[in-house]
Amino acid sequence: MVVAGRRRSIAFFIALGAGLISVILLLYVGWVVLNWRSGILLFLGVLLLSTLISGVALNTTFLVREIRRNEQQDAFINAVTHELKTPVASIRLYLETLQARTVDEVKRQEFYHIMLLESDRLLATIEQILRTGRIGAASHKLNLGSIELGGMVEECLLRARTLYHMPAESLAYHPGPPVTILGDPDEVRAALSNLIDNAVKYSGNDVRVTVETAKVDGKYVTVRVRDQGLGIPKTELKQIFKRFYRVPGAPATRVKGIGLGLYIVRSVAKRHGGRAWAESEGPGRGSTFVLQLPIAK
Amino acid sequence: MNRILIVEDEKHLAEGLRFNLEAEDYQVQVVETGEAALELLLTETPAFDVVILDVMLPGKNGFTVMSEMRQAGQFIPTLMLTARGHPDDVLNGFAAGADDYLTKPFELAILIARIRGLLRRNQWLRAAANNTAANHTAARSEPNDTFTFGDKSVHFDLLELWVRDKRFPLTLMEANLLRYLIQHEGRTVSRKTMLEEVWGLHEDTDTRAIDNFIVRLRRYIEDEPTRPRHLLTVRGVGYRFVASPVAPG
Repeated sequence: MVVAGRRRSIAFFIALGAGLISVILLLYVGWVVLNWRSGILLFLGVLLLSTLISGVALNTTFLVREIRRNEQQDAFINAVTHELKTPVASIRLYLETLQARTVDEVKRQEFYHIMLLESDRLLATIEQILRTGRIGAASHKLNLGSIELGGMVEECLLRARTLYHMPAESLAYHPGPPVTILGDPDEVRAALSNLIDNAVKYSGNDVRVTVETAKVDGKYVTVRVRDQGLGIPKTELKQIFKRFYRVPGAPATRVKGIGLGLYIVRSVAKRHGGRAWAESEGPGRGSTFVLQLPIAK
Repeated sequence: MNRILIVEDEKHLAEGLRFNLEAEDYQVQVVETGEAALELLLTETPAFDVVILDVMLPGKNGFTVMSEMRQAGQFIPTLMLTARGHPDDVLNGFAAGADDYLTKPFELAILIARIRGLLRRNQWLRAAANNTAANHTAARSEPNDTFTFGDKSVHFDLLELWVRDKRFPLTLMEANLLRYLIQHEGRTVSRKTMLEEVWGLHEDTDTRAIDNFIVRLRRYIEDEPTRPRHLLTVRGVGYRFVASPVAPG
């Protein structure tokens, strides 16, 4: 309901901006017709007009951008509330159950396992939020070291296979030539893990994810994480790297998240002098995420 | 055995709830989406006595599911269970037609007590409805917890409102709000007071979410909801209920 209200207000402000610009243009044309002989006045008029038009256009643009940002922040707060409170609610429910009821040994072990999974989920959300804070802070410096990229990719894949109980065929690695990069191991590991986690999360039940590393021009190395999952509409390919942004609509919103994972990936790439982007043939046709980092000299 | 439908996409939470409610001797079914819930609930004879409804569901969210249920005339007692605990969210839940609202994380004992409360109220309602089932005229003449104004009468015990021969079922919160306004007949009550007294919510900032309830009540009791005569707006303050408005002109 709130979002629909905001959409209406955006439409109103855009219409207002466009309306004002047309009024100004109309007045101006009238003015030129009446005063076409006075050269200096005409010049000053053009100057005044362009200032007015750019003022109105800028104002409208910033207003709309601000409204969108607020909207995303609201969605982010809702998602974070959900992602922080739900695991706590689960853990609490199982603890209360164990405390209050007679539970047989098999169920007891199952409950312990669920509580551990939920605490991991909680920790992962907290880490994403803290990492976003660190990346955003100007004072936070990179803790640089040599990283053998293939080794790190394998380490991240191993973690994901254990976490999601997947065989090596579902999360496969096609290594390129060995490459060493200069980077902050903690950040690069987080970026790689985010890409692999996303590939699994957005694959649905049929997880076929491949990770490839390859050299580009001898200067850069790319890590391509490819899945056969939901895919991404062309219009969303850039948007998804924005902070708090989540693809709207049914299939994507079924996947839980807080809209920080890809923002972290892009920030880590930038901080290391590289870049990150997404490729997809469209919805239902899988996606490929590419992280490009400079090779150590 | 009472039957409970849990609408929750968080598998662990849903299974934990199922385990506990089954231990309390309830029959439990879990669905993960609002669409699946509506399919089960909007049949002619839904097999449930209470619904536990999450808000942040994939596809249709809990608020939408709630209002679609009520619009379709499905009045199964429903408790919304959600991480969103802001007063506006709570009010939106009630405005959509929820009977109760509980925020996550919750205490198991409180959840069970609230479910029992909903079931108990349902049983009372059924018993009261059976006693007065012969015809609603008999129910109207019952002095028990009924308020009549003009050609309208509110049966608080049955949670229903009769306008001439038309019956409008009320949610618990709609009935509570109407009762509060009637008790303060002729006096202006502020939104803040209503929030505190009816919902028990203490909110410093002014909230307009209560207006949705007023809109719905007006649809029931006003001949022309856009030109209310019973439920008047007092600009900048709140609302005033007038049982017998003076005829215009």
